[in-house]
Amino acid sequence: MAHCTTPRPKIQVSNFTKRYGDLTVLDNIHFDIREGELVSIVGPTGCGKTTFLNCMSKLTETTEGNIFIDGEVANPVKHNLAFVFQEPTALPWRTVRQNVAYGMEVKKFPRDELQKRLDYILNLVGLEDTADLYPNQISASMMQRIAVARAFAVNPDLLLMDEPYGQLDVKLRFYLEDELVKLWQTLKSTVLFVTHNIEEAVYVAERIIVLTPKPTKVRAEVVVDLPRPRNFLDPKFIEIRRHVTDLIRWW
Amino acid sequence: MAFETVKVRKPLLLRLLPFLSVATFFLVWEFAVSPPGVSDWRIPSTLLTRPSDTLLLAIDKLTNVNPDGATLGTHAWVSMQEAFTGYILALLVGIPLGLLMGWFSAVRGLARPIFELVRPIPPIAWIPLTIFWFGIGLGGKVFIIWISGIVPCVINAYIGVGMTNPVHIQMARTFGASDWKIFTSICIPSALPMVFGALQIALAYCWVTLVGAELLASDQGLGFLITMGRNLGRTDIVILGMVSVGLAGAVIGCIIDRIESKLLAGIRR
Repeated sequence: MAHCTTPRPKIQVSNFTKRYGDLTVLDNIHFDIREGELVSIVGPTGCGKTTFLNCMSKLTETTEGNIFIDGEVANPVKHNLAFVFQEPTALPWRTVRQNVAYGMEVKKFPRDELQKRLDYILNLVGLEDTADLYPNQISASMMQRIAVARAFAVNPDLLLMDEPYGQLDVKLRFYLEDELVKLWQTLKSTVLFVTHNIEEAVYVAERIIVLTPKPTKVRAEVVVDLPRPRNFLDPKFIEIRRHVTDLIRWW
Repeated sequence: MAFETVKVRKPLLLRLLPFLSVATFFLVWEFAVSPPGVSDWRIPSTLLTRPSDTLLLAIDKLTNVNPDGATLGTHAWVSMQEAFTGYILALLVGIPLGLLMGWFSAVRGLARPIFELVRPIPPIAWIPLTIFWFGIGLGGKVFIIWISGIVPCVINAYIGVGMTNPVHIQMARTFGASDWKIFTSICIPSALPMVFGALQIALAYCWVTLVGAELLASDQGLGFLITMGRNLGRTDIVILGMVSVGLAGAVIGCIIDRIESKLLAGIRR
């Protein structure tokens, strides 16, 4: 286990606490994320990962504590936050192209920049051929690629991903994990990737934050210093996976 | 090319079924009714006229103003004017009101109690007051038609916004979209299938109310044609008026359906 410290983190999560009446879901969570880092969050089922992400994205207010981006309290209007949900979020009345552009439209990107970036992202995720189709004409994996492309397109300060590939089969997941890593490496975004799949976390992340059961705290941080592309059968990969599994296993 | 568009045609039988059902309906009707002046086991022409006689009357009424004082075209035009003015006004007021009520709680708080009070009142119950306010001219009928058309517009638009997928709203919020932006870019498109349903329902309500309004107070229009048929004991005129109302409604319904399928290409395919 290793703890990561940097003098000027991009994202600071400070004293994150969420209570519903007497029930404490998140209990004084602290951690930092460096600019351009891909951090994975894993934890036991029901530990409050989704609540944690909802608080991070400001969909839900925290009871105490806050998230800071470049030292300022995060604000979805001011900062570029993006969220990839587990459920498909492609808007059915928009074509693939229009869906990917949605975040940039909300962020009021200048038209020229929007078109340029749209073409670039569509090409990067391989959606240029299907750009004029509607979501009900494409597959489930492509729907999730729309959501990922839309999130990366706004050049987010922080991209939150809530088990985005949880509903896909193994083959598609491997493919999309590779694509995610490629996008992250190309666009140098800061990504927080929540998953219950430890293998997936070790495959994509530079660092893994392990949460405890409720009331949720940070149990440990694990640095994944493996070269890319990563190999699931690499002994070091297996060792990190086993270590993270032991950290989660409380039974 | 990573994909291929495939056009799937309906089987021939399925495509023919609508025509078969209409043809059967008219054939059964034609042979179930006696010709004028003939008395046999069939329905007498004094109770119901045959489709062929109705068609002949329709052709005659294209130029002949007797016995009701206007040609079929004039009646249809008057009814269209009344119905469309009321219908369009109902859409213009009802749909934005329903959409706003669905998303903004302040609008809902202000408008819903009044709407709930007005909604159960049958449109024809407004006729006496309308005659006091507007007389029996165009304004009065438009008002009654507007009242009947606005109810489904408000309800469908309101429910349509309520049916917006919450994940879409959350997605927009995480991008920092304002309430207005979410309303215009997520809630309104989400509500469109229900809004188009409202267009069809409101159209039916408007036609029904139009005929009701013209039955009571008018001197031209398809409803008036039906009333004159009754007064003259002419079932053929009554049927002609009814068929004209039905046909006009069906044609407008088809036009709305076409527009809907174009606009909602991604939602209904």
